[in-house]
Amino acid sequence: MPKVDLSRKDLFTLAGIDDPGDAALADLLSLVKGEIDNSDGDRLKIELNDTNRPDLWCTEGIARALRCHARGPEKHLSSANRTDLEIRVDGSLEEVRPFVAAFTACGWAPDEKGLESLIQVQEKLASSFGRNRKTAAAGFYRLDEIVFPVKYRGASPDTRYVPLGEDGEMSLREVLGKTDTGREYAHILEGASVYPVIEDSSGGILSFPPILNSRGTGRVRPGDSNLFCEVTGTDWNTVQLMATILACNLEDRGAVITPIRVVYPDGHPGRTGLCPVRFADGMTATMDDIESILGVKLEPGEVADALRAMDYPEVRIDGNSVTGVMPPYRHDGIHMADMVEDIAVSLGYGSFEPLLPGGFTRGRSSPLADLADAVRLLMVGAGFEEILRPVLTGMEKAAVRTRAPEPPVALANPMTAEYGVVRNSLVPGLLEVESTSAYAWYPHRIFEVGEVLRADDEGVCATEIFLAGVVCGNEANFGDVHSVLGHLCLARDVTLELKPGDDPRFVPGRCAGIVMDGRDSGVVGEVHPAVLEAWGITRPVAAFEIRLDSLGG
Amino acid sequence: MTAEERNLHPLEVILLSFLGKNGKSTEKEILERSGLPDEGSYRRAVEWLLSRGLVREVDRTEREFVRLGPVGRANLDVGSTPETALLRKLTDGVRTLREAQEDVTFDRGRWGSAFGALLKDGLVRKDGDGVELVPGMHEDVFSRVWKHVYLPLREGEKELEISTLPEDVAGLVRERSPKRGRGKAEFQVVTVVERSLEITGEGRKALEEASGRTTIGAITPEVLSKGSWKDADFRKYALDIPPARIHTGRLHPYKQFLDTVRKRFVSLGFTEMEGSVAESEFWNNDALFMPQFHPARDIHDVYHLREGYTVPPPPRDLLENVASAHENGEGTGGRGWGYPFDRKMALKAVMRSQGTALSARTLASGPEIPGKYFGMARCFRYDQVDSTHLPDFFQVEGIVLGRDMTLRHLMGLLGLFAREIAGARDYKFLPGYFPFTEPSVEMHILHPRLGWIEGGGAGLFRPEVRLPLGIDVPVIAWGLGLDRMAMLAMGLDDIRDLVTPDLSRLRSMKVKPDRLLTGREE
Repeated sequence: MPKVDLSRKDLFTLAGIDDPGDAALADLLSLVKGEIDNSDGDRLKIELNDTNRPDLWCTEGIARALRCHARGPEKHLSSANRTDLEIRVDGSLEEVRPFVAAFTACGWAPDEKGLESLIQVQEKLASSFGRNRKTAAAGFYRLDEIVFPVKYRGASPDTRYVPLGEDGEMSLREVLGKTDTGREYAHILEGASVYPVIEDSSGGILSFPPILNSRGTGRVRPGDSNLFCEVTGTDWNTVQLMATILACNLEDRGAVITPIRVVYPDGHPGRTGLCPVRFADGMTATMDDIESILGVKLEPGEVADALRAMDYPEVRIDGNSVTGVMPPYRHDGIHMADMVEDIAVSLGYGSFEPLLPGGFTRGRSSPLADLADAVRLLMVGAGFEEILRPVLTGMEKAAVRTRAPEPPVALANPMTAEYGVVRNSLVPGLLEVESTSAYAWYPHRIFEVGEVLRADDEGVCATEIFLAGVVCGNEANFGDVHSVLGHLCLARDVTLELKPGDDPRFVPGRCAGIVMDGRDSGVVGEVHPAVLEAWGITRPVAAFEIRLDSLGG
Repeated sequence: MTAEERNLHPLEVILLSFLGKNGKSTEKEILERSGLPDEGSYRRAVEWLLSRGLVREVDRTEREFVRLGPVGRANLDVGSTPETALLRKLTDGVRTLREAQEDVTFDRGRWGSAFGALLKDGLVRKDGDGVELVPGMHEDVFSRVWKHVYLPLREGEKELEISTLPEDVAGLVRERSPKRGRGKAEFQVVTVVERSLEITGEGRKALEEASGRTTIGAITPEVLSKGSWKDADFRKYALDIPPARIHTGRLHPYKQFLDTVRKRFVSLGFTEMEGSVAESEFWNNDALFMPQFHPARDIHDVYHLREGYTVPPPPRDLLENVASAHENGEGTGGRGWGYPFDRKMALKAVMRSQGTALSARTLASGPEIPGKYFGMARCFRYDQVDSTHLPDFFQVEGIVLGRDMTLRHLMGLLGLFAREIAGARDYKFLPGYFPFTEPSVEMHILHPRLGWIEGGGAGLFRPEVRLPLGIDVPVIAWGLGLDRMAMLAMGLDDIRDLVTPDLSRLRSMKVKPDRLLTGREE
């Protein structure tokens, strides 16, 4: 979940309300699905739970929600209708980073703190919403030095410019290899034969997106009141929405937004047009739809007021249905259910009286879980202590040390080798207990009932429930576990036969396949001293493992 | 003293009755005549009775007894002492010590010291190298020692009381029984302290109470078959002794906790769902309307099975329904996510990352309507294992289907869980966000110690989730992570303890599955 760090003073000034204190703020934050993570003087850290609302991951967005809830909807980007400014996109970036959006923001001169906050928003959007700059990332520039039209084009890796934070010219290739930022994000451009640059008509390179701005126009200083902003990326909607959110934020701060026309070549997936795009997700719900979701009968007027308090610029009542249009910085309205939730959030969840569902339903635990319970009690009655181990384990433990006859299913992307495979037997987990518990009173009689993952010859995997038991102590032997099997089979009315087994985990001649009710059900034996040695176990161990359903009877 | 404390052991009763009958008695008399089986029984009984004031010591006498030392026993074996032997040789005509020393019955040193002793007592005298008896000295002490000490002991007496011996004999015995160096002593003198005991008033009372009744210690089959308990008292046991520790089988504490949660859902009318720990992307994510580009589906959030391992594919028609829902919302009333759905990705095998996969499968399996379902699902997230993260964790998940289900029913149900499953007194609902529900709710519950804590998430399944799976009634979905709740209830602060391989640690864990999730009793 994204977290934002902000100034309370800034938040409440922008929201136009008095600071109500943490307790009341916590309630207000339910409007943005936010929670106070930390509050320390002027610093406030808020966690935002809605990963689909990037507009809320900043002071401006949270303040706007509070402001609109108190005063009603606002007009956004109303000045952004006409422009003389253009960005021309070069087709060679189609496979690398095809899309760009841009606008200018004039008349608001951020001070040091304002600039910091702007950069924080830009970074937050690029890292979370833009998938670490891969899908989309934004940049700000000093507008006054830029000669339009601007070009967004593919450039040779040997193209040179002076990057931000460096003293002299470097090639794009050098930026990726030699600067910290370059090394961090180089993977985004891996395999590309051309690299994206933003260049103005005077031939000056503004930036090497999404890596590093230029030292010239790409360095915004406190007091700069005319800004150029661009967003580049690989996903059209993400690029546009990020630009629109940034434009709304700057407008809320007092800037005038002028759009820029982005011109794509013919046949390019991008659509030529003005940025920022004003999203306007429209949804229609009948009053019955609303009642069937929320469980209360609302008047159309109440619904309209609730949506306006969520900054819906347009709400139309048409007989029995309500059509709402979301504000331009949102693009999460894909079904009328989304609008209905906005109604509920606007009214406050506390305003809904809980009801218990009616209608009779029968409660029933799963037959396999019931069988597991019965068998667990039989095992406890036989003096066994129940064990619970993780399903993920390491190849070393599951297969190598234990000399498993079949390898367990491995993960493609384990975080560590220690948890790189899915167990296919419960025995290694129980042996690990023995290797860890040499100082616990003997004899040890332990068991586990749990899930294992087994793959068939074609590699098709299925979960099965196994039961395994281990006896360890100075005198532990085959008879100790054989007698437990007898006990279980007698109680469950299942026949038990052993046939000579050949399993590398066990001592030859002291290992048997278990046949229950005529079906192959598992294995029993004295654990091979080589396995015990690998595990560092210094007392004899006898073990068995069966499929739980063989005890179904 | 209370009656319980007077409760007498049968041996104590024997001793008390003897003293009651015979009055003041010495320990020797008691041992010989009371009928106690042995000296050990006597010692235990008398110390207990003395400590409780039921008998008292009235006087004590010291008696000395003589026994033969190693040298004395050797003398007895050869039939004489060196002194009596030398006197006989002199009587028989031996004239020098050297001549006597040729006899190897005793070594030269002992003949020498015997001569010294006879000389000192004036029984012999020296004449140059020669030795002769002093005439007229017939009654010598050495012969008397032989007669009064050696001979009775040879007849079987173990020891002789010194006070019964003639004075000169007793003198010599004392002289020849050194306190140290007993290894070469002729005699040993042992001092025995003998007490006399008598019964006290308390003792008589205790005896009266116990008279005619025996006290039973262990209840043996014999006691039962003979019915002897009918005229007996039972010996009372001390209650302040800590119990012996025993070693038993037992269920795992966390599993018992999970069992409790399971039973409670069944008791609330829910049917249990089951599924596989390995799922297709389809059931784990796609069917839940999680777009394929969603960050939570990233390679760094979900475990994938290695190439070559698969899970059974979803039915073709469901795959197509879900694909349309993602691409353009067809059949869902919405506009979809608007991206080209990758059907190959939907087939990939992952480790189940959310229990909601169970609910998706249930929706597609023709569930009962109205219906309530729950599942205890082991889930897997891409996390570094530490004191708050395990590689796999337990969630309880579920759905409620019904034509009339609304946000208010969802809240009513969550409130029921808060009270019945978590044992919470107070709870509240906040707007939440889950990709597969709309509206979404997060419940916070008031923990007695920790204040407000997260108590699970819920919502109404999006139409884009349920319609492609064939469900045209509202569905409430909810889920709750159990590990942290269990840690709170079990008083653990390291989540790894829940799956510890350390048997001692496991055995030390408390078992209180009835304490509910907040650790509070109902």
